[in-house]
Amino acid sequence: MHSWNNTAPIYQQLADRLAVQLLDGAPPEGEALPSVRQLAGQYLINPLTVSRALQELVDHGLVESRRGMGMYVVGGARAKLLRSERQRFLKNDWPQLRAKLKRLGIHAQDLDWGTEQ
Amino acid sequence: MTNLIEAKDLTLRYGKKTAVDNVSFNLPKGRVVGLLGHNGAGKTSLMKALVGLMPPGAGSLNVLGLDPRRQRTALLEQLCYIPDVAVLPRWARVHELITLMSGLQPRFSADRARQLLKRTSVGLNDKVKSLSKGMVVQAHLALIAAVDARLMILDEPTLGLDVMSRKGFYELLIDEWCDGERSVLISTHQVEEVESLLTDVLMLDEGKLVLNISLQDMDQRFVALSHDPAQAEAIAAAHPLLRYRQTGGRGAAIFDGVPPEHVAQLGERIRPSLVDLFMALTRKPALTPTQS
Repeated sequence: MHSWNNTAPIYQQLADRLAVQLLDGAPPEGEALPSVRQLAGQYLINPLTVSRALQELVDHGLVESRRGMGMYVVGGARAKLLRSERQRFLKNDWPQLRAKLKRLGIHAQDLDWGTEQ
Repeated sequence: MTNLIEAKDLTLRYGKKTAVDNVSFNLPKGRVVGLLGHNGAGKTSLMKALVGLMPPGAGSLNVLGLDPRRQRTALLEQLCYIPDVAVLPRWARVHELITLMSGLQPRFSADRARQLLKRTSVGLNDKVKSLSKGMVVQAHLALIAAVDARLMILDEPTLGLDVMSRKGFYELLIDEWCDGERSVLISTHQVEEVESLLTDVLMLDEGKLVLNISLQDMDQRFVALSHDPAQAEAIAAAHPLLRYRQTGGRGAAIFDGVPPEHVAQLGERIRPSLVDLFMALTRKPALTPTQS
């Protein structure tokens, strides 16, 4: 079964998971999201909570509801998500990561930057 | 009618023993409601009363606009129920059960039952006695979910099933029953597992309804704080509902309502889990002095 942690309400965690998938292009912009019932069955979450998670994505301008047709990914959603995720990383994750690197005495040249370097 | 169930000051008794004590609640449409309580808390009695198997000692009960005692036949046509002692006849084949249901239940659809059974590993020609416990329960759910009704009542349906069977059961329930209009009332001890399935929770403790809340409101009303063990005394001084230890050695405490600012600062706010809240609000039978 799917595991949900205790950091945030379940609808919020589902919204986050769906956002990560949108960032990876699933589904692509302009395409439909799975229906509430499909998501409910897939994640074993009641339909009300699923609707709430989708509303969260609507509120962030990532998906839109088309009357009678379901939820669609808004054009520019990925760019928007990328922007907010980058901000989140720089604001929350980076200070912690930097502190850890400092503590361990790891410098930029010690890190494997992949093929680009 | 907006509520599928309306219970007002409902009391249920077995002789002198009170099983359900002055309980009031409403159950609207489109909900998945968990009925939680320790053994003997009154869950089964309440469910029996809902389907007309037990007369109210006091108070009133209305299910689908009907009086479960006086209009039981009309009621049973419109709701689905799996009691805690559910058994399917061991000698019967699944297709025979479909024929049986077609004759007994006017709102039963044989086509729908066959369609639901396709989702399971149960074959139409299988005999009930050849099926595993998990398969029997899934077959049972498929049969009653094929009834065109608005309310389903399940008394500990997954008791004794392994994790795969439980998952299969819940998938079938969410996929095929929960459509935003129909409701289900489900009692279980597997609190952690059903938490994400539920929209609302009813908690019984020794016959009393100690909590009746939507999961959405629960997240807001109850505050859980995760804190460093060093802060344990300061947290305890603020009288939380429950203190417990988290995996990883940190302490945690649940408060009913937002604790004062100086207490809130001692830890970080986390989501109170249903099982922790359950522990906080109900007494463990083992700790309760036995009544003579």
